[in-house]
Amino acid sequence: MSEGQVGAEQRLVTPGMVIGPSSGKRAGTGTIAENNEFIATRLGWLNEQNDVVSVLPINSAYMPRSGDLVIGFVAEVRNNLWFFDVNGPFQALLPMSLAPWKVEFGSTRQHLGIGDAALARIQEVDETHNMVLTMKGVGLRRLNEGAVVSIPVNLIDTIRGQNNAMLSRIRDATNCRIIVGDNGRVWIHGDAADMHVARQLIQTLNEEGHKNTFEGAVEALENKRGEH
Amino acid sequence: MGGYGDVKLLREDGKRLDGRAIDEMRPVTIEAGVLPAADGSAMVTHGLNVAVAAVYGPMEAHPRKIQRQDRAVIDVRYNMAPFSTGDRIRPGFNRRSREISKVTAESLESVVLVERYPRSKIRVEIEILAAEAGTRCAGITAASVALADAGIPMRDMIVGVASGKIEDTVVLDLDKAEDNYGQADLPVGILPNTGEIAFLQMDGDLSIDEYNLAMEYNHKAAKEIHEIMVDALKRRYEGGEA
Amino acid sequence: MVELVPSLLRQELDRLAAEGQRIDGRGQFEGREVHLEVDCLYNAEGSAKVVWGDTIIYAGVKFEIRTPWPDRPTQGSLMCGAELRPVAHRKYEPGPPSPESIELGRVVDRGIRESGCIDMDELCIVPGEKVWGVMIDIHVLSDGGNIFDAAGLAAIAALRTAVVPAERFDVGEDHTLKVNGTPIMASFKRAGGRFVYDPSEEEELGGDERIHITLGDEGHLHSLQKGLKGVFTPDEFAEILAVAEQKCSELREMVAEKEGN
Repeated sequence: MSEGQVGAEQRLVTPGMVIGPSSGKRAGTGTIAENNEFIATRLGWLNEQNDVVSVLPINSAYMPRSGDLVIGFVAEVRNNLWFFDVNGPFQALLPMSLAPWKVEFGSTRQHLGIGDAALARIQEVDETHNMVLTMKGVGLRRLNEGAVVSIPVNLIDTIRGQNNAMLSRIRDATNCRIIVGDNGRVWIHGDAADMHVARQLIQTLNEEGHKNTFEGAVEALENKRGEH
Repeated sequence: MGGYGDVKLLREDGKRLDGRAIDEMRPVTIEAGVLPAADGSAMVTHGLNVAVAAVYGPMEAHPRKIQRQDRAVIDVRYNMAPFSTGDRIRPGFNRRSREISKVTAESLESVVLVERYPRSKIRVEIEILAAEAGTRCAGITAASVALADAGIPMRDMIVGVASGKIEDTVVLDLDKAEDNYGQADLPVGILPNTGEIAFLQMDGDLSIDEYNLAMEYNHKAAKEIHEIMVDALKRRYEGGEA
Repeated sequence: MVELVPSLLRQELDRLAAEGQRIDGRGQFEGREVHLEVDCLYNAEGSAKVVWGDTIIYAGVKFEIRTPWPDRPTQGSLMCGAELRPVAHRKYEPGPPSPESIELGRVVDRGIRESGCIDMDELCIVPGEKVWGVMIDIHVLSDGGNIFDAAGLAAIAALRTAVVPAERFDVGEDHTLKVNGTPIMASFKRAGGRFVYDPSEEEELGGDERIHITLGDEGHLHSLQKGLKGVFTPDEFAEILAVAEQKCSELREMVAEKEGN
């Protein structure tokens, strides 16, 4: 589980709520300092570490950052580039020069058509959210099989766990290949029955991820699978 | 305001027709996260009013002419369902709903940290399912909880409350009869943390002293409603804490 | 807004169909859980709320007094409309009623009207002068798939529990609206090449044509509608019709139960 969600003193804050005096501490994400007080700007769990006070949001929209690994769907194709829906407020652009194939001008559609999914990395984001993607890099590719499901971006840490420990357990328990994108999209691939199990587990995460019950659900699945 | 006529709105004992004291609010209930399709949502019942708000976004603002290079735009639609009032309302935007949508959007822009999302829009949809005077206030309250539920950063929420005047008496939270036959209505949107005012309308006739008293009632009621808003968000997420 | 259809979704629907499965684990003709609440809105003379999976729909009934048409001096009127407002989904945009809204309202309208459950002569107040106009408005708050069945259910439940507000219009005493029947809709969607009952949001996004069947108490057809691109065979229709009969009687019982309360 991500830090801050454990312990009895866990405190939920709402936007506008006074968190406490700001003396000697710094305002982290989800907070602002006003009149020597910290004010929460997000709905979430209060977190204090190394004198930085922040709010771990319960819900948040995906805000792309350069270096992010994302799962995108092609939304538009031009002769020399693709536009991807990456679950952010704006579409991201993949120029043919950053595709993993040698692409001739005008033949972009032969490689990726509308609705196709790909694993890509965000190369660059400017201050007005214009984004450039790259598919040059290890593992970046077109996703030809499997399914893509969504999770809230603030639960990405929960599904991955420390050093991807939770993700490994989930892969083993569901017998599926799983890739978690930084944009709240999760790719799963396995046989139909296993994918159904993976989908159900992710559904549990979506419904209860803000509580501490997710690890229990994974454990229950591990035990159940262990019996077979 | 319908004007001060021969309709009695205060009883002999000084209470109002529905038995409320002059500074007493109608019952308020709030539930967060009621619409599965939305990024954030809330339902507010205030007396017999039912307001539902959904939030979508931030998403790309289009048409492009509404885009702001340095901030997000808040796109609010306040709409009354056809069956929400005594006489059926023809579906579609009318002058009243356009005006309420505009001023509601502007008040929400005063608290949402819009500069975080350049060129984006945040859609706020307010649907009134039942109207019994005070729908714009219930709508603002619902929109605030829905924005918080959607994880939109705000420096405060906004609480919608109203006071007014009936039979030359300032009262908190007009109901339908009081709104129809009263002398003034003062709906406001209050930031509970700072007491600042983000939404203000008024019609009727109020002396400055009456205005001050009405505002005093509004601030008091805003504190009460704010607690219910916070409680709604807590109930949604805190229930299963280990 | 036209929604992007992921190629992987269509591929998965095909694969699941071949194995006789659905994304959410339901059987081919298994519906989601349905909750119905009636008389839930102040100001509406009849109202219902339907929560159908992730779909939430309200319906409200209002009455007005109008002058009858000269050629039908004793007949009132019935109208059912729907609004797919932007509150209901990211994909719905503001603006005048979309073709989809109009289709939804008209398909529900036909099912109720053609079942004959409202006797238009019963809506007469003074022949040639005053008749009741009954208006059902369907308000979709959350589209989680299969809004047609949820809208149809909300509309008939609101109508069956409506009270004619005669006192407010000074034309007698309030009385319950006489409704002689409970037409119910059952909808099917082609997903992965075969029809499924009660499509989910994903099946609607990645599927093809849909078929809506409204059946009356006697099992007669009162409205049919095929929507979206695609064709179907007579055998396919025979199969889903048999499913519709069963689904409609189950939902009809649910309405009757709620009225009893």
